[in-house]
Amino acid sequence: MNHFTAPVEKMPRTLLSLNGVSFAYGEKFILEGLDWSLMQGDFECVIGRSGCGKSTLLQLLCGLVSPQKGDVVFRGNTLSNPVKEISYVFQKPNLLDWLNVIDNVLLPLKLRGELSTSERANAMQILDLLGISAHADKLTWQLSGGEQSRVAIARALVASPKVLLMDEPFASLDAITREELQVELRNLHDQLGLTTVFVTHDIQEAIYLGDRVRVVKDGHFVHTQDIDFPSLRLPSLKDESLFSNYSNSLRTSLGSPVYSSAACISAQGAMHV
Amino acid sequence: MFNRSFNLFSKFFFKLLCLVFLGLVWEFICKTWQFSSLILPTPIEVFNFLLQALQSGMIHRHIAQTLFEVICGLCLGGGVGFCLGVILGEFPKLKFLIMPYVVASQVVPKLALTPLFILWFGFGTFPVVVMTALICFFPLLENTLTAMEHVDTLKLQLFRMLGASDYQTLIWLKIPHGAPLILAGVRVALVLSWVGAVVAEFMGSSVGLGALIVAGQGSMNTAMIFASLILITLMGWIMYAIVLGIERRALIHYPRRV
Repeated sequence: MNHFTAPVEKMPRTLLSLNGVSFAYGEKFILEGLDWSLMQGDFECVIGRSGCGKSTLLQLLCGLVSPQKGDVVFRGNTLSNPVKEISYVFQKPNLLDWLNVIDNVLLPLKLRGELSTSERANAMQILDLLGISAHADKLTWQLSGGEQSRVAIARALVASPKVLLMDEPFASLDAITREELQVELRNLHDQLGLTTVFVTHDIQEAIYLGDRVRVVKDGHFVHTQDIDFPSLRLPSLKDESLFSNYSNSLRTSLGSPVYSSAACISAQGAMHV
Repeated sequence: MFNRSFNLFSKFFFKLLCLVFLGLVWEFICKTWQFSSLILPTPIEVFNFLLQALQSGMIHRHIAQTLFEVICGLCLGGGVGFCLGVILGEFPKLKFLIMPYVVASQVVPKLALTPLFILWFGFGTFPVVVMTALICFFPLLENTLTAMEHVDTLKLQLFRMLGASDYQTLIWLKIPHGAPLILAGVRVALVLSWVGAVVAEFMGSSVGLGALIVAGQGSMNTAMIFASLILITLMGWIMYAIVLGIERRALIHYPRRV
């Protein structure tokens, strides 16, 4: 099967949903009564402070953990275990040191007994798309952090998933590599017609990548911000005033102070006095 | 390439130099304090005895016997230790049931068990192999169990996410992830296997380097005792180097932190 044949038609169909989902570690509920519908082709970002349950939310969405209350529904069926159509990219690349790049990428297919010559060719195509096909035979620990993140994304894409869940995958990268990967990810999402949920604590990253940004606080979605930018996004987008408006709105909902240049100048003046 | 060969050669040369120096110190002590050959033979006397024993073929069957016992004991004990480590790692509830007995088998002095083994298994090769296996199964068991218990949680999550079965997780993740630790256990077991075989031969064997040491003691042939000890050391070194080479080859894809 080729990943890159026809342009994907976007259909407004619910693919994955949370219906009144609550999740607790021990006695303490960290997510409560969440309702969420993800349509095919959506790119949604989830932001929130550390420990607010963002990663748990992703684990619920992929069936790694089960909710105490409510249901996670994928294509009309309750999700109780991980399925092939939902891929997960972890915060760390989480690669197997003893395997080379191509074997790491092919791991999902090998474990499912679906490895064929055409799948190997597809894997190479994905590596090519991510700009790391030259490293296919290298061991993963010989790669840079950015290259390892690309391998992790390639591994998530190799089984042709419908949903891609990403848990702060660029958190440990330098600013330039991070920006490169953001551009590549957004392009991949559009090109492959994926439904993507991207968890981050970086407001700028969420606005740049997502079509919608959800804010998690105290176990609930406290704010949902639709991002009205075209699909094809350039890093220069971050300089637009609309971008700042979105950023301020999300900061406010997170309970973080909004700094204006005037406020900074007056604060500096006060310090000099 | 030349530099690497030169480094290897110089390392070997300095090791040899160190050995010669130790031999000279030994010879010097013997000559200075005029020790009797019964107490401390000179290195030359030991070397001569060794040479004669090797030329006459007298010592060959002893070397072969001990080597056989060591290899059999290592394979048996190492195999059982590895398998038990995997089983206890996969079924943690069994660990609390079995581990007290495993520890008990290790804290009991092995020399005290030898008479029992002779009673149960008679004289000869088998009790020595069993004793060697008993000594060298523990490092493999401990290292394998530790490797099974300390697999990266994120990697386990990844395998669950990819729908891997328990067997696939064991073969594709747990064993390769723990390979450096498991192979370190093999090295420790190898060293201990020589101790096990020689000690067991002291008690219930007429062939083998351990039996030769006892014979040397009985016939007051101290050179024979030293020759046996030197052979045990040499063969232990060689086997250790072989296992180290295999380990390096097996772990060639793993990041080295040195």
